[in-house]
Formats: sequence, C-alpha cells, structure tokens
Amino acid sequence: FCGDKDAEGRSWCPDCVTAEPVVRRELHNMPDESVFIYCLVGDRAYWKDPNNEFRKNLKLTGVPTLLKYGTPQKLVEEECFKAELVRMLFTED
Amino acid sequence: DYDLIIIGGGSGGLACSKEAAALGKKVMVLDYVVPTPLGTSWGLGGTCVNVGCIPKKLMHQAALLGQALQDSRKYGWQYEQQVKHNWEVMVEAIQNYIGSLNWGYRVSLREKSVTYLNSYGEFIEPHKIKATNRKGQVSYHTAETFVLATGERPRYLGIPGDKEYCITSDDLFSLPYCPGKTLVVGASYVALECAGFLAGLGLDVTVMVRSILLRGFDQEMAEKVGAYMETHGIKFIRNLQIFIQVEQLEEGMPGRLKVTAKSTEGPEIFEEEYNTVLIAIGRDACTRNIGLETIGVKINEKNGKVPVNDEEQTNVPYVYAIGDILDGKLELTPVAIQAGKLLARRLYGGSSTKCDYINVPTTVFTPLEYGSCGLAEERAVEEYGKQNLEVYHSLFWPLEWTVPGRDNNTCYAKIICSKHDDNRVIGFHVLGPNAGEVTQGFAAAIKCGLTKELLDETIGIHPTCGEVFTTMDITKSSGQDITQRGC
Repeated sequence: FCGDKDAEGRSWCPDCVTAEPVVRRELHNMPDESVFIYCLVGDRAYWKDPNNEFRKNLKLTGVPTLLKYGTPQKLVEEECFKAELVRMLFTED
Repeated sequence: DYDLIIIGGGSGGLACSKEAAALGKKVMVLDYVVPTPLGTSWGLGGTCVNVGCIPKKLMHQAALLGQALQDSRKYGWQYEQQVKHNWEVMVEAIQNYIGSLNWGYRVSLREKSVTYLNSYGEFIEPHKIKATNRKGQVSYHTAETFVLATGERPRYLGIPGDKEYCITSDDLFSLPYCPGKTLVVGASYVALECAGFLAGLGLDVTVMVRSILLRGFDQEMAEKVGAYMETHGIKFIRNLQIFIQVEQLEEGMPGRLKVTAKSTEGPEIFEEEYNTVLIAIGRDACTRNIGLETIGVKINEKNGKVPVNDEEQTNVPYVYAIGDILDGKLELTPVAIQAGKLLARRLYGGSSTKCDYINVPTTVFTPLEYGSCGLAEERAVEEYGKQNLEVYHSLFWPLEWTVPGRDNNTCYAKIICSKHDDNRVIGFHVLGPNAGEVTQGFAAAIKCGLTKELLDETIGIHPTCGEVFTTMDITKSSGQDITQRGC
C-alpha cells in the first residue's frame, strides 16, 4: 500500500518512495502462484482522514504497508525499508 | 558458532535473547511446540502469549462483558434482543491478535539480528545441540553459553481416554467449536480461571477438586474465590479422588463424553456425561527430553524442574535456566522476563543485579478476581508466629455493584502486618473487581517498605475499591464484625 503518485510517478509519501525499490528487489523471492497487489491509498488528505476505507476495512495504520492478506503478517513504515524483513514476509510461513 | 543459544522462545527466552543481542552478542533462539495429543500447536512467543495469560485474560474479559450486559439494564440500557455469545467469533478474534504477536516477535528478533529456528533443540555433547525442524531436517550448533527456557506443558490424568478425548488449556484457547457442557478437572488457578470464564459465557460448568483450591495461595482467599464461583452457578465436586476412565459416547464438535470416577471415602461411583473434559491438574517442566543427561545438568527428578543458584546458573557452569522450569521459583511471565533480562546483563553487560523473587505480586483472574503480594496468612503465621502479626481486614461493596444489586459483603480486603517491624505490610490480599490493577500499585509500595501507618496516612481515592486499604481499622484479633452497612 502506497500513497498516490503525481504526474512524474513520485508518491507524496517519502517513506513509500524509500520502501518501493526495497520491496521490488525482493519480489522474486515470493512463492510461485503468489499474487502481488500494488495499491494506491489516495492523496494525502484522503489518507489522513481517519474514516478512509483502508483504515476502516483493512485496518491499515500507516503507509507504506506490506500485508500478507488473510494473515496477521505485515510490515509497516520503516519496517518496509529492511530487505531482510521483506524477504522474511515473502518466504517464511 | 554463537555466544549464546537459548532453548525456548517464550517470555523468558525472548527477553534474554533481545537483551543479549542489544549488548552486541551473537544469539540464537530455538522454539518448537510439540503438538498436543489432539494436534494443537502455535507460533513463537511461548505459553503466555499463545495458551496462557493473553488468551485467558481476553476470554475472562469476554465473560465480564457478559456480566456487564446483565448489569446494564439496571443502569437504564434498554434493548429487546436476548444477547447470546458466539464462541467461534471470540476465538477467531483472539487468535488473530495472538497471530499478530507471534509475527511481531519474529520481526523483533530479525531486527535485532537474533537467529530464530523453529526447531526442537537437544544437547548431544558439551556446548553442542542438535536442532530438528518439523520436516525432520537436522542441524548442529555450538555456543559458549546456553540458557534453558523450555517452560512447561499440562499434565494428563494417566487414565484410559485422557489423551484421546480430553483437552487441556493448550487446546482450549483455539478450540474451533464451543466446548458446551464442561467438566474441569483440577483446582489450580488454570482450572478455576477457565471454569470461571466458561461459565461466564453461559456454559454449564463443573469443577472437580481433589482436595484444596489454589494450592500455595492464601486458603481463606481461595475458599472465598470458590464460594463466589459456586453462588454464580459453577458446580463443585470435592474430595473425589480416583478417576477411572473417560469414554467417548459420540464423536462431534463437541462430542459427548462419559466420565467415571470414584470417591476414596466410600464405594460410590460417579458417572456423568459432558461435552468436554478439560484437564488442569498441573504442568510439567519440559526438561526430560532435551539431552540434559548428556551434559550432566541435574534436574529435580520428582518434578523435572531445574535447581539453580541465585544467578540462575545450573550445576553446569555454562548452562543457565529461567522461567517456569526453575525449581522453587514463581511461575509467572514477568518473573521470567525479568530473570532473562538481568541474566543477559550480568553475562554481557557487566551488571551484578540479581532477580528479586520477594514480594512478587500476582492476580488470579477468576470471576471474582484475587490479587495478592507478599505472604499468605498461613505462611506468615508459620514464619512469624500468630502473636507477632496483626491482620486487618474488611468487606467492601464496589459502588458499581450497588445499582445492579450485585453481591454485598463478598469483596474482601486483608493485610498482614509484622508487629515487631513497625507493622510492616508483609501480606496484601484483595478479592474484588480489577484486583490486578489495584494490587500493582500496592506492590510498589510494599517494595518501598509499606507500613500500616503509611497506609493510614495515605488518603484514599473516592469512590474506588482500592481506597478500602487506606481505612482499615478492624483486626482479626479483635473479633469484631466486618459486615458492611452503609457508605
């Protein structure tokens, strides 16, 4: 989950900008048949609204968030900068 | 290969590993859950997180909320629906939370560069262990120092049908179906807490007690805990000593079980049908199958626990032990965490602070909660002599219970003071709502040397339950009546 991007493809969320290359580099470690969903959470105002759909329905608390859907396993904000943790989320049970 | 290898990823093991890693050491943690006879297993974090304190308190809370719903009508809340409880919804929510804790620990260990293996560890020679994962793959690892933090698992009855058909606390908190009519065998705090919340959720619960309730705790308080449970619909069968068997009458989720037992007093046979039988007769240390014999670590043969000196060191100098497996020490999460942290600091941080096992506060989360710190009255009498003690006590009625008309003259407060030491408070006991919250603060006061005079000088917060301790006048020795009559 990442903040919306502008015309130059840059997100308003600086942590998302930092995390994206880290996550992309680890994508090849995902198990076969995994589906990777890249989701934009709207502009800064929408994201800050405490009632936005992402906070309400998916219980997201910060961006960037990397979430293994259907499990409690997730990495939030600075945790997404760490290749080791991203790899652990992708490869371990 | 490592500075420190810790066997067991529970409260003690994890705390020790994180502290040692923070001090720059190369640490490995092994955690492996041998599935229960019924196949239940769980993730990293140990007993407390998975099958102990955390789910227990959450289910206790679920039961308290049921009681609150009943009280709410008296406070003016009006609703037509009959409120029912859905076991599966509760278990799913609790297991989701536990899952996030398991994951959180894994992230935490990885961030601190602690190597975590989901493998069963056993010693094969000095300084060396063999680790076997769930697929049977084996690896070997060596370390300068080892810490045993393997914890305990529930004991079974040793009768036909116990492992096949009965459950323990290891299974209860993730049980995918409502347990229904339940027989709880045992009178430990595990037994009483579980019986308590199951009944609070509306189930038909019977507790089978061999002799006394809450062994090791103040017996006057234990009997009051039991009495409250009994007046609130939990059946107690006492002094039934011999279990014969548990048979399955019908399979199902839950099924139907028939329990047969007999009294030692006479020839009467007890036979009754239940949906679930929960065995809570004690827990055994996981020390028998980890190769301790190969390296010469002595354990107490009677109970499997590990004797250690006051620095948690076993008879083998490079092997330490912490947590529930310690012989003669308290089986509590915060104690294990403290012991683990301080041990790491002594080993690698140049500290000499030892874990203080005196005046550790605890709370039993039965329907009427019981908090205590310091000595039970019987222990105090034994150690100091009755004539050297002054026991102050009082019944109290929580304000919140008045409107809904809940039990009066049931909540109870007691302090035991040492006469020849400025009436120092050496025992603190409270039976009432939020007992844990009430007790925590007083535990700190006791650590500061709380005396009766200081308590009397402390002004109470009104209206609370805790304030009763600031106005206790009646002593047991005076024989005066403590029945409450007004504000």
